Amino acid sequence: MSRRPVRLNLGLDRFSGLYLAALFIIVFGIWTPNLFLTQSTLHSVAAEQAITAMMGVALLIPLATGAYDLSVGATINMSAILAAQVQSQNHWGIAPAILLALGVSLLIGVVNGLIVVVFKVNSFIATLGMATVIAACQAIVTGSNQPLPPESTAWSNLTQQPLAGFQIVFLYMLVLAAIVWWVMTHTPAGRYMYAVGGNSEAARLSGINVGKWTWLSLIASAFICGIAGVFYSSLNGPSLTFGSGLLLPAFAAAFLGSTQLVPGRFNVWGTLIAVYVLAIGVKGIQLVSTVQWANDMFNGVALIVAVAFAVWRQQRKGRADASTADRQPARPDDPQPESVSSEPTFSGSPSS
Amino acid sequence: MTAPLSAATAGSTWSLQAENVSKTFAGQMALKGVDLSVAPGEVHALVGENGSGKSTFIKILTGYHRPDDGAVVTIAGERLAFGSADASYRAGIRVVHQDLGLVDSSSVLDNLSFNGGFRTRFGTISAREEAARARSDLELLGLSIDPRRLVRTLSPALRTGVAVARALRTDEQAPVRLLILDEPTATLPEDEVERLLEIVRTVASRGVGVIYVTHRFDEIFRIAQTVTVLRDGVNVASRPINGLDRRSLVSLLVGAELDETAAESAELNPAESAAAVRVRGLTIGRVRSFDLDVQPGEIVGIAGITGSGREALLAGIFGSAQRTAGTVTVDGVTVRADRPDHAVRAGVAYLPPDRKTQGAVMDLTVRENFSLADLKPIWRWPVIRRAAERQEAQSWLDRLSVRPQDALKRPLSTLSGGNQQKVLMAKWLRCSPRLLLLDEPTQGVDVPAKAILHHEIVEAARGGACVMVSSADTDELVALCHRVVVLANGRVVAELEGDAKTVAAISHHALA
Repeated sequence: MSRRPVRLNLGLDRFSGLYLAALFIIVFGIWTPNLFLTQSTLHSVAAEQAITAMMGVALLIPLATGAYDLSVGATINMSAILAAQVQSQNHWGIAPAILLALGVSLLIGVVNGLIVVVFKVNSFIATLGMATVIAACQAIVTGSNQPLPPESTAWSNLTQQPLAGFQIVFLYMLVLAAIVWWVMTHTPAGRYMYAVGGNSEAARLSGINVGKWTWLSLIASAFICGIAGVFYSSLNGPSLTFGSGLLLPAFAAAFLGSTQLVPGRFNVWGTLIAVYVLAIGVKGIQLVSTVQWANDMFNGVALIVAVAFAVWRQQRKGRADASTADRQPARPDDPQPESVSSEPTFSGSPSS
Repeated sequence: MTAPLSAATAGSTWSLQAENVSKTFAGQMALKGVDLSVAPGEVHALVGENGSGKSTFIKILTGYHRPDDGAVVTIAGERLAFGSADASYRAGIRVVHQDLGLVDSSSVLDNLSFNGGFRTRFGTISAREEAARARSDLELLGLSIDPRRLVRTLSPALRTGVAVARALRTDEQAPVRLLILDEPTATLPEDEVERLLEIVRTVASRGVGVIYVTHRFDEIFRIAQTVTVLRDGVNVASRPINGLDRRSLVSLLVGAELDETAAESAELNPAESAAAVRVRGLTIGRVRSFDLDVQPGEIVGIAGITGSGREALLAGIFGSAQRTAGTVTVDGVTVRADRPDHAVRAGVAYLPPDRKTQGAVMDLTVRENFSLADLKPIWRWPVIRRAAERQEAQSWLDRLSVRPQDALKRPLSTLSGGNQQKVLMAKWLRCSPRLLLLDEPTQGVDVPAKAILHHEIVEAARGGACVMVSSADTDELVALCHRVVVLANGRVVAELEGDAKTVAAISHHALA
């Protein structure tokens, strides 16, 4: 009874993102080969999405630990603004400017953790509040005037330096992703964080310091956003508002990523696949039409469809192995709409 | 115990008559030609280990599964159409599942009305009419509950009562013929069980046939007139309870398991030595000034009814629940309050009573759950050594015969309850704890798994661990423990050893 019938498994679920990417490439490759199937398209998609990918990777750490970090958008924005402003206005050098931006991001993470772990405010509320507070702080620092981009070429070369045709920021992103992947899947830290996210009480009774790991996960996400903010500033110049625009794509990537490769678990490579599959689709649409709203529409629809698909698959699976019908939402205390809150907990059986 | 079997043979139709029910899943037979009959007013106990086919049988009755060809099921003389929950409902079959399916934050009244529908007047819920109807439905079961109370505020037995009342709600189109209770007492404290049994007796007295699924033997003898034992999908025996005693029932299931445990445990005979674990003046929940010394190799049982303070004791010793006062030392090292991480490092292991909410990280794999409490032996910079981890975990799974064979890489949630508990036990045993705290270690676990868990507990003690077992299962305590401490009203009322340690003596002191 506990055995499920063996089904032919082409990995259509775990690798659906890759299949979808292949489909996009074929469709747009046939539709507009001269524009789409070019090196420059490849390079621009890779660099443009590197920042979103970093944010998605940052975000998945607290998500895996069972905490939401809604302040990532505000944090990345703050970091980008600070790094640019102290250079162009106060004539700081590159290194001190970066250190300041990273230091402030780290501080944001520490405060987030303090509110969530010590004051025991639900992470959803805590980081939502912090996002607003950070935005206010940013307005104080800048006086709501967009700082000028720093003029040094060393600053722009930090991310735009070409490397085998790609801008080097793409490489930074891959290195960052690899580090987070290593931590999350190959070290005790990752095990502890996934355990806390899966069932914090069971983790606590296993001798895991739940507060410590929740705190560290929030610090990690803020710090990585700080790094991403510096890179954004160097890549695109400072903007007062770009952060909030990246929040949804980053969440979309992390949640979509949790349906890929290791279904039911927030994971680094799944998140990257999600980012780039969406980016390829959007790029294709932009090349064949002139509409401005393709990006938003595509991201929103893709998120809902993918999560709905994952929930549906979960339900079907739940029926298939009905002998263990005691599945439960892992984090009942998060004020999330049902489809989303059940999303990271759907348990696919990993591998064959 | 009047046998209602005679009533049935005297002409009235059976509540349930199932013949030749088989079910094949992907080439494996989960049920093999099971026959089972329940008379109106009869309480029919259905027992069998996990995977014996009990739940498959129930799911066929409720229309969730469709049986293989050749099966015939009649309800009150009417042939049941298979594979439709609606048809089963209309035939008069009602089920109360273990998790009850109540909305805790709603009132009793709303819960009763959720599937029957509300009585409305001009589209508005007629509160007074609803309340009166709810009250009378509850009274039919001998329950006097204010329907406006929130389900959350009810005791577990009363909650089960509400679920039963909801299942039995009068529906003129579909009178109730057969009530199926799936392990209704699995999560019920001992003193609540009698209330529930009373409810079940009331239901039966109204002429409804009852199928009562349970792992607890004492209940079978208290409530059932007939018992059916399933083993590997086969009906091993359907017998009137009168000719049976506990031992013969156990042997129908698996053989004389508890006897073996008792023999193993007694042979251990812990040498008189200095206590390794000292609990002094522990005050937590209802327990006041609790003192206890445990020697290495000794298994100490904690008995006591709900309200005695037993539930919070082990969590208090471990330090996962807030202590009001008292100290705990293990080998002279103080176990701090409210810091389970320190306790684990001090060599204390705690198996919590509720597997789902406290013990298991269900979405992680068996392997990850297994190694969670101590990653040091497998962590070598820069990575966790997966091969070593897999090897260690597999050897423990083999030792505890965890099923299925490829359990290691599965999410823990896909294992049966008994196998989950084995994994969680292995998780702590591999740490070779100095103090092993086991809270309801075999709750909701089938008999063969129980035997394995008991064996491992004895082995841990043999290895020099101090073991404390808190359990509502008095038989288990008697068989397993060298010494049983009985709690009542937060105080130790008895310490029983040797020949004084009997089920009767424990119950006597616990209830006194």
